[in-house]
Amino acid sequence: MERLATAWAIFQGLLLEALPFLLIGVLIAGLARWLAPDGAWLRNLPDHPLLGPLSGAALGFALPACECGNVPVARRLLAGGAPLGTALGFLFAAPVLNPIVLASTWAAFPNQPWLLAARPLGALVLSLALSRLLSLIPESELLTVPLLEERRLVQPLSQVGLLERRSGLVGLPAAAAVANPAGAPSTARPTLATVLEHGSREFLDLAALLVLGCVIAALVQTLLPRQWLLAVGSAPTLSVLSLMLLAVVVSVCSSVDAFLALGFAAQITPGALLAFLVLGPVVDLKLLGLLGVVLQPRAIALTAGAACVMVLLLGQWLNLVLL
Amino acid sequence: MALALWGVVLLQSSLSGRLDLLLRGMFHPLVALSGVLLLLLAALQLPRGGWRLRERLPWPWLLSSGMALAVLLLPPNPSFSQLAANRPAQLEVEPALDFLLPPAQRSLTDWVRLLRSQPDPELYAGDPVRISGFVLTEPGQPPQLARLLVRCCLADATPVGLPVQWPAGFRPRADQWLALQGRMGVERLAGGQTRSVVIAERLQPIPRPQRPLEP
Repeated sequence: MERLATAWAIFQGLLLEALPFLLIGVLIAGLARWLAPDGAWLRNLPDHPLLGPLSGAALGFALPACECGNVPVARRLLAGGAPLGTALGFLFAAPVLNPIVLASTWAAFPNQPWLLAARPLGALVLSLALSRLLSLIPESELLTVPLLEERRLVQPLSQVGLLERRSGLVGLPAAAAVANPAGAPSTARPTLATVLEHGSREFLDLAALLVLGCVIAALVQTLLPRQWLLAVGSAPTLSVLSLMLLAVVVSVCSSVDAFLALGFAAQITPGALLAFLVLGPVVDLKLLGLLGVVLQPRAIALTAGAACVMVLLLGQWLNLVLL
Repeated sequence: MALALWGVVLLQSSLSGRLDLLLRGMFHPLVALSGVLLLLLAALQLPRGGWRLRERLPWPWLLSSGMALAVLLLPPNPSFSQLAANRPAQLEVEPALDFLLPPAQRSLTDWVRLLRSQPDPELYAGDPVRISGFVLTEPGQPPQLARLLVRCCLADATPVGLPVQWPAGFRPRADQWLALQGRMGVERLAGGQTRSVVIAERLQPIPRPQRPLEP
């Protein structure tokens, strides 16, 4: 009973902490939609296998949001027709490559300058590899169906067959067409009311998933003693693995996770510390729920698996160099 | 309207002082602001007419609205020693303390920080102590008086505790909040080491303070 009460309190703490950041992300996404309605600049972003993810990662500096906030922005990018690589690069790298997160990392570890370079670098490498990997999968198996329909509305017909477009001229009305009763996307600036309505829907959809993620994180955190994870902190491989597990379970926002890592930085290997700071923003329990609006379950599983393997290698390599 | 409900949840949480129990102080204005923003958003859409009333609400919205209602109705009541039990009792390396309060004004956290930066127990022997905290019991160890430090929200709370020599016949109960008056003493451990210990002279049960968490 006491455990349940504690889990309930942790759930509220996580939720109340994350909701404002989610709102910020949705507002930024809405703003981007309002300012650049036809999204022509989105489709002009580079589609090069390396430059695409790089430019997506660089967008993180322009649209600062932590991982709960950046899922809606990435979804907006994809729906607006941005190249896949760019949007995925943004999705995976932006939670680390933004001024707020770098500032908090620096504030937490002023005496470990290597970390300030290693964290963004690690995140960049990870996002490049992940977006390369995911772009091997056809879009129709990668993205969720509603997002795919919204995305096809803005793609030129030369890329998408008329039948694939489903909404507009042929086939059923898509979710996007319902939200925007004019049917085909107007190139005119959408009215403020439309943007607001769309933003509200997005916020409510994401909030539902956030609630789910917070429930899981709070339950696991209360029922699984943290000491188990940390007892293995000094073994090179085990420490990396255990900190990865901790990052996935605890699910705090990337803007504050550096402070959390500070709490046990003294007992763990440097590779484990880096693994915690790089993996948390890309894969965690709370995020698995949020990612569901962008990626299909199989793609999420692939992302999580690949990210874990790469972060493990990264941490191992760092331990090899530094220890 | 679901949006307004979330707005109310955020706003009510910050107005009722519940956030003091859940989040670190610096995030409180952010939560309140988001609550106001959400209410504003909901109000802006109200006149354009109940688009949500005509269509069926998707079930995830209903479910999460149910959760929002539950958050509104069921206040959190965590067990602090339960929280502490799941945490490593590690304090980060503190920068050198730049000023010192007189002994009688130091809080429990001040004492713990001081003892970690200057662990010589003889320095403090006899200093008066006036602190408050909750009773933290850990298996295999005598009960301590402790506080929770929070960097972001309750999920990353770390306990800091001071060893206490309880008065004879007093049996501290886990999670009980106590105000303690006493002085610092020196305890000899097995192996010839010494450590500081609080010798309790007067103990008074108190309700959980308004702001139980410390940054």
